[in-house]
Amino acid sequence: MANAKKFWVPIVFIVLAIFPPFFLSQYWLHVMIISLFYVMMASSWNLIAGFTGQVSFAHAAFSGIGAYVSGMLAVYLGFSPWLGVLIGMGAAALLGLGLGYLCIRMGGIYLSLTTLGFSEILRIIITNEDRWTRGTMGLQVPGFFTEYSKVSYYYLFLIVAILVLAVIYRIIHSEMGLTFRAVLNDELAASSSGINTIRVRILAFTISGAIAGLAGGLYGHYLMLITPDIPSLGQMFLVLAMAVIGGMGSFVGPIVGSFVLEILSEYIRIYGEVHVLLFGLVALAVARFAPEGLMGIIGKRWRREWSY
Amino acid sequence: MTEFLMYLTNGIVIGVINAISAIGVSLIVGIMKVVNFAHGELYIFAGYFSYHLSTTLGLPPLLAMPLSIFFIFLIGIGMERTLIRPTYGNEMYSLIITFVLSIVLQNAALLIFGPYPNKPPNLVSGATNIFGLYHYGNQRLLSFFISIGILLFIFYLIKKTWFGKSIRAVSQDREMSSLVGIDHFRVNMLSFGLGAALAGAAGVIVAPIFPVTPTGSSAISLTAFVVVVLGGMGSLKGCVVGGLLLGILENLGAAYISTMYRSIFGFLILILILVFRPWGLFGQRTQ
Repeated sequence: MANAKKFWVPIVFIVLAIFPPFFLSQYWLHVMIISLFYVMMASSWNLIAGFTGQVSFAHAAFSGIGAYVSGMLAVYLGFSPWLGVLIGMGAAALLGLGLGYLCIRMGGIYLSLTTLGFSEILRIIITNEDRWTRGTMGLQVPGFFTEYSKVSYYYLFLIVAILVLAVIYRIIHSEMGLTFRAVLNDELAASSSGINTIRVRILAFTISGAIAGLAGGLYGHYLMLITPDIPSLGQMFLVLAMAVIGGMGSFVGPIVGSFVLEILSEYIRIYGEVHVLLFGLVALAVARFAPEGLMGIIGKRWRREWSY
Repeated sequence: MTEFLMYLTNGIVIGVINAISAIGVSLIVGIMKVVNFAHGELYIFAGYFSYHLSTTLGLPPLLAMPLSIFFIFLIGIGMERTLIRPTYGNEMYSLIITFVLSIVLQNAALLIFGPYPNKPPNLVSGATNIFGLYHYGNQRLLSFFISIGILLFIFYLIKKTWFGKSIRAVSQDREMSSLVGIDHFRVNMLSFGLGAALAGAAGVIVAPIFPVTPTGSSAISLTAFVVVVLGGMGSLKGCVVGGLLLGILENLGAAYISTMYRSIFGFLILILILVFRPWGLFGQRTQ
């Protein structure tokens, strides 16, 4: 019975997700699209942080690579965004592989510092090389569809997000996922059972980087303006907060976190740009008192109700 | 030639301040294995305290500066007790918590202090003739000597006093140190406070020279991290050497190569060291 529930719940959600464009305003459709972007980012970040325990700060940078590569290919070489996004994803994957190879063996603190440094170097280069990237003025890029339609973008993001989540779900529940969690729980034990922990982590890093690149490419061509804000630490923080508050180490956590935080930030925006501060405080409280996030809190209640 | 000497002196002055800032990070990393991402924010909070105490409240700068450092010390202790302590042993959460804390503090600073740069008043003014070769600002010279004083004090504290010994003991082997009777929770708390206070000291010393802004905190944290990694985690003299090296390199690089890419030098050094020699110049090879 539990298995059937697992199968039907996502189907229900996917079917429900078809309907929003019929009754949501353009503004809220935009919010949904942005939320889907963050769902992809937070879920892929969760793949390395929540499941292999490595806090990478380069995630926003990977999305920036996806966005800028795709954008510049479109603007300077006339590539179609559909192709550009795939190439951007590839570029991000390659950099993920390289960065992963470089710093995975260092672990913990060193990995965080390296990814932090990498992210900032990228942002500085992008900001300064404005001859090519248009720096803080922003690079204007074409969209996916010749006729701009938020509804089309919504379905595009929805489909890609579902695919991405499906991939992540398969990874988590595959042997690779078991390996990830073994590494997370006890690296020494894992490596003495013969798991090549380094290879596992590099692979996770690369996949998550690729997804971030894909998300970034989509985001860039949706906004049609690519700025150094995309690979910034501010974005990194939002992604991190969504994963933490939603619940790291769970599949649904980042999804919930992304929607909740993005929608909340729209409401809070009325009072000023305080949503970052607020999310930070909540994230601190969650990390301190309820490390399993919203899903952890809901999960406990669920289990109490459903256990008999 | 005079120009070169000026850049060099700038580098040295900034270098010792970097060193103080880096020791603040290094202490915490060495003892608690926690990277204090909120380091830069503590630094600028101190600068703002110093500014407001001396300007808005009218306290004499000589009083405002140590008082600001003391407040930061208290804030550091508070941080440790409420947020960091529960994350002992869990590296991932301590990284996340200090990172989020840094964002929170940064935004709080924007909210409380406003986005405009503030500069506490100089203690001294005018310039001195150095060795008859060039003139250099007196405030910077004073900052240099204060920094040297603080560095000497820290070295004395760590190497000669009992507290310093307990810090070294806890950083070497926590279990053993508690077995011989050291209250390692208290050592943690005090050393976090001390680390924060050093960040504050650096901020207070620099603020009369370079005004503080809430957005400058990330660069400050990252400079401190680069110095710690360059010098070697857990090595005090590494921080001094690393701080001087970085200060000189960044100033000369910005002057002769490119000002726009100034911060990149630090990051590049960071990544190069982390890849090729993660234990830095004077650190221990634990890999």
